[in-house]
Formats: sequence, structure tokens, C-alpha cells
Amino acid sequence: MSEVWRFAARRAAELAVTLLAASFLIFSAVYLAPGRPETFLLGGRSATPDALAAIRAHYHLDDPFPVQYWRWLTQMAHGDFGTSIQYRAPVLGLITARLPGTLMLIGMAAVLVVVLGVGSGWLSARRPGGPADSGMLVATSVAVGTPSFVAAIVLIWVFSVRLGWFPSIGSGSGFFDMAYHLALPALALSLYWIGTLARVTRAAMLAELSKDHVAVARSRGIPERTVLRRHVLRNAAPGIATMSGLTITGLVVSTVLVESAFGLGGLGAFLDTSVSVKDFPVVQAISLLIVTVFVAVNLVVDLIYPLLDPRVRLGARNSA
Amino acid sequence: MIRVPWRSAAAASTGLILVAATAACSGGHTAGAGGGSASGAGRAGAAAYTLSASTPAPKGPIDSFTWALYAEPTTLDYAQAFDYPQNMILSNICESLMRWNPDLTESPGLASSVEQPDPTTYVYTLRSGVKFHDGGTMTADDVVFSLKRQMDPATGSTWISTFDNVDSVTKTGPSQVTVKLKKPDSQFGEAMANSAGTVVHASAVRAAGQNYGTGGTLGCTGPYTLGTWVKGTSIELDKFPGYWGKPALAGKVVFRFITDPTALTNALLTGAADGGYLITPDSYARLKSSGVGNLYFGKSLTTVNLNVCNLSGTLGDVRVRKALLLALDRSGFVKTGLKGVGTVTSSVAPADAWPAGTVPPAADLPPTAQDLAQAKALIQQAGATGKTVTIATSPIGPDVWLLATAFQSAGTQIGLKVQLKTIAPDAFTALFSDPKAREGLDAFPETYYLSTTDPLAIYHIFRTGDFENYAGWSDPAYDKLVDQAEAEYDPVKRAAISAQIQKIAVDQLPWIPAAEWPNSLFLDKRVTGAPTSIAYLYYPWAADVGSAG
Repeated sequence: MSEVWRFAARRAAELAVTLLAASFLIFSAVYLAPGRPETFLLGGRSATPDALAAIRAHYHLDDPFPVQYWRWLTQMAHGDFGTSIQYRAPVLGLITARLPGTLMLIGMAAVLVVVLGVGSGWLSARRPGGPADSGMLVATSVAVGTPSFVAAIVLIWVFSVRLGWFPSIGSGSGFFDMAYHLALPALALSLYWIGTLARVTRAAMLAELSKDHVAVARSRGIPERTVLRRHVLRNAAPGIATMSGLTITGLVVSTVLVESAFGLGGLGAFLDTSVSVKDFPVVQAISLLIVTVFVAVNLVVDLIYPLLDPRVRLGARNSA
Repeated sequence: MIRVPWRSAAAASTGLILVAATAACSGGHTAGAGGGSASGAGRAGAAAYTLSASTPAPKGPIDSFTWALYAEPTTLDYAQAFDYPQNMILSNICESLMRWNPDLTESPGLASSVEQPDPTTYVYTLRSGVKFHDGGTMTADDVVFSLKRQMDPATGSTWISTFDNVDSVTKTGPSQVTVKLKKPDSQFGEAMANSAGTVVHASAVRAAGQNYGTGGTLGCTGPYTLGTWVKGTSIELDKFPGYWGKPALAGKVVFRFITDPTALTNALLTGAADGGYLITPDSYARLKSSGVGNLYFGKSLTTVNLNVCNLSGTLGDVRVRKALLLALDRSGFVKTGLKGVGTVTSSVAPADAWPAGTVPPAADLPPTAQDLAQAKALIQQAGATGKTVTIATSPIGPDVWLLATAFQSAGTQIGLKVQLKTIAPDAFTALFSDPKAREGLDAFPETYYLSTTDPLAIYHIFRTGDFENYAGWSDPAYDKLVDQAEAEYDPVKRAAISAQIQKIAVDQLPWIPAAEWPNSLFLDKRVTGAPTSIAYLYYPWAADVGSAG
């Protein structure tokens, strides 16, 4: 088991280094971006030079970059995520308030992507060139070619405004109400990824199907279903798993657009507004959260790998 | 200034949802008596819409209603309340010494009366038995505290310039507060009807410290208390049972923040929200024909202008500014930019800002029709043919990008070289406070609303040294008139001086006016009673909203 511990320790160290590097890069990027936070605080009002100076002093905006970064880093080390410049309130509370809706949205979209993506890819690969496969190719082309915010607009117009089946805005409260509110946003968010994953699944399975051991299995009269499950899907699984991991991280990034279109006021929309007004502490916190999710999803994929393919040792993944 | 709560659909394709940028404007103090008649700039041919003085009276109370709002307020501190989102909510929670009414007149608020024993003294007698939301009764000490907090530079109040001429604020009786001025200032008294005159419970502000305005109690007196604030999503207001005035009709008001203009319109169409102010012009037609509710327009004290921010370039020559005004297709801009809901104008001051009967005659203003021949002649006289003018534009709202385009087309037709510099919506707001952001620009579109019913609320900007006078435009005769007008307490006499001020402004064009832009309001069939005018910024409008049937 020592191997597992060594692996875990290495990954933890990697995560820490990744977060530190990311935090520095993001902080620099926001710092160097055009615009000045104090003008956003004024909301476009005119202000006397004295008033501006007072705001700058209050938020330490005149400190040199290293000083500002170091202040933020030492605060973080004490578990203090800082205070939002826009809201004059602790960042942690602002984020946790918005977290449930966003997590639920991503969760629902991820389920849709994995189930529909892998499912339709599997159906396609069973009879390449058959009616199911042709239909899937057309459907995935549309899905991959439709940006999520366009999908959002169309879905709202059809299902909320015209038919009135689903709410047009908000994320609801309580599990079932939230699921109902988030059904359309989750669909809009997952459409592209369903298409992508379906194609990856299909390609991976067709590649396996053309291999000799499949022909041998078939010639020995093993039922097709068993061939597909034991000889094809099993070998294609690592590639599909990697793609699923990438997909989930991609979903996180896409929430920004979808949340705004559906007026969800989640983390994605919050990151967007915070970037535009240069709210350093909020941008840092949300970005690092996203980086953490990336690393965590990668870790899960790594842990699943040996289970899918006994030839692979823990942590020794080949890029699929 | 005004925040434009809309972004273009095209902006979405850049991959970031652009948040509405604002330009809330300062300075407007005062509320002259009387809502101006809606004559002023020629309304000829403007039959596309009508202004409603009010919405139908409610049939009775209602449990709750939901209001759509394009942005979340960052704080509800009355001293920082200078933008649509903050003021639209806060006007129902906090109250001021005076009150701005839906017809844009002013009447006593938390002060039951105000006297002026001499030109530099205001004596406020306080209403008795006014309860604070957090318990306790309003005292003169609370009033002194509230006003002094605005004057303290450490507060960072956006209303601080209102108090420029204030010498002292003192308690002169158990329910009396006296404000002494350094010099006569009619604008101070009028400003006591907006957020500058807010009265809060001193102990509540002290207890909240740095966190005041970010949640919890605001220690105010209005018909609603601040309820649950779900950051990023909604703010709830609860009816205050101890309110001194007419009790609110709705038990609860829920403000929902919907930053995407299409999503906001969809919320109104599907009943997710019962109503909203500041509808994007792009949605007027859709809401009107929906059958879901009614779209109303009302007095707004809002004009759409070109702010000339650099006088050392091509626009430094008044003939070039005049030529641009003559060449501008103002009616075309109203048609496309404001979807026909607006009127062309030649003055930056809205007609409704003048006290009844004092609106200067149309003869005082240049004609609003396009005159390219005369404009070309002026450009030639000025020797400006081929010279460059740089105008900022931004995908914030049609009043910005379409006005910039209209000026580009006007300038190009008369021989100027007009360059448009596109600025991101968030950076656009910086033009109003950051000189660096204005570098390299000759002008930018600016939609400006007044917080008081007085043309001086905009004309003070062109006084030498005013902090909103970005171009440093200066005219001693103009300054003298503004000082005279501010010192004049009689609204009619003051308006007469303002008319002279306006003559100089239209002759010199420190800003180039284009159109007046009414306030918009949508109500579904469930609710009615909301005022149609811009008074909602400082008047407890939500208390008037009740059941429609």
C-alpha cells in the first residue's frame, strides 16, 4: 500500500505547487488588465480626486504588486479569502452562497454528458453506417456546432416563453425545484460536450472493433453483446474516461455563459462580473477553486485507470 | 449620469457576458416646485408613444410581487447610493428629510416643515413618532449624525458635493435641526429630497461599522425593511408594520438580479418577474405585443448627449461643435437608438426639469432639424475640413453606440474625420472618474439624469472647476449666472436666470445634446400602482404597488 501513499503525497504536493503558480499568474493577469477597481466602485459616477484617493487608500490599491500579492497570500495561509471590493463583504460567504446552484448545474450537466454521450457513441459504434449511426452523426454535428449561449437562447424561447414548461430564470430552492429550474441550463451547457463525447466514444470503440482479438472472439461464436462489452468497451474505456474528465472541467468554464443567459447568479456569472471590475480577491478565489476542480478530476481519472486497465500502474497514465 | 442596463446580443459572442456599465451622475441637487409641462423640445410627430402620469390605481393589497433589476447593488449604504440598482431598492427602505413625488414636485418627508429665517439658514422641524426599523424613535441627534456622516470625507459619500456650502449642522431643539450655510444655496435644500437627505439610526450605523449597507438592518424609517439578501440572486423587502406613513400594499417585494437583458425580458414575459423599470429599447415591441402586461413611459429628467471632454483638439472651436449639432440626424437617432421612444432636443436640460410655466421658449433653442449645408459652411470657416475627432463608443446600450455612430455619420458628411474608439462596457464607466481613461478622446456619449427637478442640476457642470467639467470649459459670465441662480430661492426667479444660463450653454455647446429619453416601466396583469417617473429613485414607489384585480 506504500505505493498508494507515495502517489497521494506526490499528488498533494503537485496540487499545492499548481495552485501557487496559478494564483500568481491570475493575480498578475488581473493586475495588468486595463481599468482601475476604484472607478468601478464609483459605478461610473464622477468623483472628486480626493474621493478617488480615499478609495485607493482604503483598498491598498497604490501598493506595489509584490506587496499586494504577498498580502493576499499570507491572508490565504490563515484561511482568510479576503474581502470583495465590489461587495465589501468576505469572499468566502459570497462564494458559498452561490456554490450550490453552480454545483448542481455542473452535476446535472455531467450526468447528461456521460449518459447521453457514451450511450449514443456506443449505439453508433454497434452498426457503423447504420441508421442509428447516421442519425447520431447529424445530431452530434449540430450539438458540437451550437455554442452554449445560442442553445440557451433557443431553449428558453421554445420551452419557457412559448410553451411555458420550464422557468426562464433562477435556480430554485430545494433539490427537486432546483433540478426543475436547472434542467434547461444543464441541457444548454452539456449539448456541445455530449456531441464531443459521443464522437470520441464511437471512434475509440470502432478502433477496438477493427482489432484482431475482436475478430477472433467473434469467430469463436462469442455473442456480440459480450464481445462489445468485454473486448471492445473495456479497451476503449481509458480513452473515454480521460475525455469524460476533460468534459467535466470544460463544463465548469462554460457555466459563465449559461448562468448569465438563465439569470442564475451562480459562480460563473460572479467570476465574470468580478473579472470585469477587477475584484482581485473574488477572481483569485473562484479561479483557484476551478484549478482545484481540474486537479481533482484528473486525480479521479488517474485512480479509475488501473481499475479499467490492469496493465496500467497507479499514476502511470499515458496520455490518451 | 446614467447606467445603461443593456448590452448588445452581439457582445455575448465575445465569450463574456458583459455587465451593464453605468454612468450614474452626480451633482443633481434640488427639486424645484412643479413638474414641468411636457412641452419643451418639439414633440411634433412623436406619436409613437405616450407619457403616462401614473399607472391604474391598485384594487387592494397583495402578498408579494417580484421586480426585475439588471444589476445587484454592491452596497445599500445611503451615502454610496448613486445608481439605479441601489436607489431603486433603497428608496423603499430609507427616507429623507424631504420627499420627491411621482410628479417630480417636492414635499415634506421626515421633516414636517422647513423654514428659512435668512438666506443662509435652513431650520428643519422633524416629524414626531417616526420609528426606526431596528427599534427606537427618530431624534434630532440621528438627523445630525446622518448628515454629518455624508460630510465626513472618511465616509467616501457620493453626495459630498451637496454639502459644499454647509457650514454647520446642529440640533437646535428636541425635534429641530438647523443647517447653516457659508453662502445662500437653493440646491442644498432641494437635495434633501434625495439620498443626500437620508436619515438613519445613528446606533445602527455605529453597530454595523465597516459592514454597514452589506446586509442586516439599515436603521432606516421607510415602509419596507431590508429582508433576506441572497448575494448574486435576490433581495427581499418586508413590510414594516411600524411605518409612520401610508402602509405598504404588498407584504413582500422580491428584487431579482438579471444581468442579461434578454433573460430579463424573458422573466417579464413568463411571469418570473411582475415588473421592472428601465426596459431595454430592444424589448419595447416584444413586451408591448405580448399581452402579458403593459409597458408605460414616464418623465425621466434624462437627456442623451455628447460630452465634449477635450477642448484642445478639433472640438475646441465652437464652430465645429455647432456644425456637429446641425449635422446630427437627431430624429434618426431617436428612431433607431431609442426605438422611437424619445424626443429630439437642442438643450442638455430636460424640459421637465423647469418649474411649471418657466420652460424657455423654443425660440431660445437652435432648430432640431438637420442642416448639412450650414454645417459644412461652419466647418470650412473654422478650417477644420479633414481634421480628426475621436469619439468613444461601447457596446453598453443603444444610447451609446448608436449615438456615437450618428455623430460619426454627421461628422463624415461635413468633412471631418471621425474615429470611433471602442471601449469595453466596464472601462466605459471609468470615463466619468478617471482622467487617464479619457486620454486621446475628444468626446463620448453621455446619458444624464437629474436627481432633482431643476435645470441647474445639469448646468452646474459647466461652471469653472466643477469636477464633472472634464474639458475645463470656462466662461466667467456663465459662472456668475450659475452662482446667482444657486443663491436665488424663488423657483420662478431662479428659472429665469437658468434660462439665461441655457442660452450660453446652447450657444457654446460644452456638451452637444441629442434627445430626451423617457423612463420605461413594465407591469404584468397581476400588479399595478407603480409610479411611471424617475421619482422611483428616491420615492417609496414599491409601497404603492398592489393587486390589479
